[in-house]
Amino acid sequence: MLKDIIEKHLLEVQKPSRYIGGEVGSIIKDKSKIDVRFAFCFPDSYDIGMSHLGMKILYSLTNERENYWCERCFAPGEDFEAVMRANNIPLYALESLDPIKDFDFIGFTMQYELSYTNVLNMLDLAGIPIFAADRTSELTQIVVAGGPCVCNPEPLADFFDIFILGEGEEVNLELMDLYWEMKKQGASREDFLRKACRIEGVYVPKFYNFTYMNDGKIGHIEALNDAPEIIHKRIIKDLDKVFYPSNFVVPFTEIVQDRVSVEVLRGCIRGCRFCQAGFIYRPFREKHTDTICKEAKSLCENTGYDEISLASLSTSDHSEIDPMLTKLLDYTVSERINLSLPSLRVDNFSESLLEKIKKVRKSGLTFAAEGGTQRLRDVINKNVSEEEIMNTCRIAFEGGYSSVKLYFMMGLPTETDEDIIGIAELANRIIDLFYSIENRPKGKGVQISISCATFVPKPFTPFQFEPQATREMIEHKQALLLESVKTKKIKVSYHDPNVSQLEVILAKGDRRLCKVIYSAWKKGCKFDSWEEHFHFDRWLEAFEECGIDISFYANRRFDYDEILPWDHLDYYVTKEFLIRENKTAHCSKTTPNCRLRCSGCGVNKKVGRECF
Amino acid sequence: MIRVRATFEKSERAKYISHLDLNRCMLRTFRRSRLPIWYTEGFNPHPYYSFALALSLGFESSCEILDFNLTEDIPFDEIKDRLNEVMPEGMRIVKVAEQNKKITSIAKAEYSFSLVSEKTEELFKAVQALIAQEEILIEKKTKKGVKTVDIKPDMEILSCRKVNEAIEITIYLPAGTQTNYNPSLFVEALKKTTDIRFDVEKIRRIAILCADNSVFE
Repeated sequence: MLKDIIEKHLLEVQKPSRYIGGEVGSIIKDKSKIDVRFAFCFPDSYDIGMSHLGMKILYSLTNERENYWCERCFAPGEDFEAVMRANNIPLYALESLDPIKDFDFIGFTMQYELSYTNVLNMLDLAGIPIFAADRTSELTQIVVAGGPCVCNPEPLADFFDIFILGEGEEVNLELMDLYWEMKKQGASREDFLRKACRIEGVYVPKFYNFTYMNDGKIGHIEALNDAPEIIHKRIIKDLDKVFYPSNFVVPFTEIVQDRVSVEVLRGCIRGCRFCQAGFIYRPFREKHTDTICKEAKSLCENTGYDEISLASLSTSDHSEIDPMLTKLLDYTVSERINLSLPSLRVDNFSESLLEKIKKVRKSGLTFAAEGGTQRLRDVINKNVSEEEIMNTCRIAFEGGYSSVKLYFMMGLPTETDEDIIGIAELANRIIDLFYSIENRPKGKGVQISISCATFVPKPFTPFQFEPQATREMIEHKQALLLESVKTKKIKVSYHDPNVSQLEVILAKGDRRLCKVIYSAWKKGCKFDSWEEHFHFDRWLEAFEECGIDISFYANRRFDYDEILPWDHLDYYVTKEFLIRENKTAHCSKTTPNCRLRCSGCGVNKKVGRECF
Repeated sequence: MIRVRATFEKSERAKYISHLDLNRCMLRTFRRSRLPIWYTEGFNPHPYYSFALALSLGFESSCEILDFNLTEDIPFDEIKDRLNEVMPEGMRIVKVAEQNKKITSIAKAEYSFSLVSEKTEELFKAVQALIAQEEILIEKKTKKGVKTVDIKPDMEILSCRKVNEAIEITIYLPAGTQTNYNPSLFVEALKKTTDIRFDVEKIRRIAILCADNSVFE
């Protein structure tokens, strides 16, 4: 039995409880009564994958169906991978400890570009052919992917049978239902794929043919076998009615988000022009306070967690945020539960809200200012004024906080040296503000942490057309910022620009990148998002060998009328809107949030109703 | 408030739960059981519970001790049932009772384990030779560095038998607030005296005892 072989070596590796299952809340079924088996794979370590809310939702949802069994699977750490390879242990799912190669569906959630090589590594560990074209003609082992990265899945097209666009709660079951129906009829893989591509939200990449022009741009995207020309993403219309788990799998080892997580809203009203999530998850939909409280309570009771976090792109944009927090706090305080609030925006951070958060815990405050000057913040449509930032910091300092963390991006469209120096100046003014406040925290100095990421233009954002700043430009900006910071009260940290460069190539790339990813993996690339595992030199070799020019994808402006690799995918936001927003950005003009005024992104037409 | 001492089993997959993780795991188990566990008073109140001894990762046990307080008087059997209903797989409360003895009265623990080798006969001889030695020196890591310790005076072999292809050993080793030895020290010492390859299997703590060999409870 696989379990015995695993156990024989389990004590040789770090945190072995990650590899053996048996956690509270994990769902065990009788194999003999199961019609469709789904391996939900997260292409990163257990500690990260187990924190992912989407997996928790789809895991519970699928398992509600008596005859379907969804199990979890993660990328093993380096030590355990060595054990697996040395002892011929195939990649297995944690509930049954059965090899995932025997499953009907092997589903990956693609959350970030730097996890792509892990997919190949996991398929290889599982003993599943890495290229979709090499898989059996029988109806089994369907390799699918969903998640935000599949809004441009082309760099992964050769490895997957199916991509699922948008929210999975309905479409996953529709796909499994079709599979089961066709399995009973003895259909082939090809038969199934041809029918599957008729389900809205299901994209079968091999039914689409890409031709390229001499200049390297896409000439034509052609749908074959009567597959739909355009594939539309799926959304859930009513968040109060959609399934939400009442229980989570509770891990033994500590994970990144080790708490109950309640989704409060989907989508975002803000329209920050760099933010992919802000566009691909539209329309904005809220859950009612009662639903949120009910879900929080049952999750706490069933899991035993004593901490809740509210999950969304911008929790404070919930229209009932005050009554919601009041009601939640009534419950959490009486049950000695911690309530943590991520994703709070600077501008609507009111005094009363801060009072409520203070009741819960006193940790650092983090603000995403993104740009150092008002002009640049207007370009990116981060509708936050310096006055608002200062006001929020004042409230925070008066409330006893003495450290503030500020997030910025470097290499934003139209950015100049002035904008970089502006980051340091903004931080300086926050320090001055601190010392001007009479009732500031005594006995403590103020600490401003500046964290700078390199801007990565992403598909389905108004900045999808933008080039990324070259490494030389980024290095210049970093040096300039360091020069401009003249006090130890400000700490500066950066992301590795090489990582951001790879990220943009994989985000905006097309099918010609499949062979690069394969080649990089062959050279040993995996866990690229982990600093200690990231080998940019190997990636560069892979690009070189495959004859791919990095700057074509990373540093080139994509034309408005160019066919983009994701033009056949419909995420409800129209390309016309994105072009309009791009032009507005270059005029340093802002667009109001969706609640103030509809800016005509096109989502309401697709959904068939107004957003507000 | 009542003071409670639970004895629990930790076996099968639960043996891979580290001591640190066990702490978190118990907290969540208490919360799921909705037992009125007593919280410490003060600036940062937290539920009060403590394990008598730490158990090494990978060891099974039939006798782990967990002390906690409840704010209401609840029958012992009910406490046991409510916890068992929500315990993780492989963990089971076998007894809930009063706290009779002080934690400091723990003096030793009984362990069983087996050694598996393709050369059982030769390994058995090596084990017997080791047991017969006048002193068994091992290197023990302490806060001050590596120290050579003779474990012979503190250990007591209760049985050492060859059963089929395995050698089964039960042993008393010191435990508690002063000295804590575990069977891996014995295994280490054995590895130094023989080149025969073997695996250690089924390490299990069977009993936690006081100095007079009475069961700690």
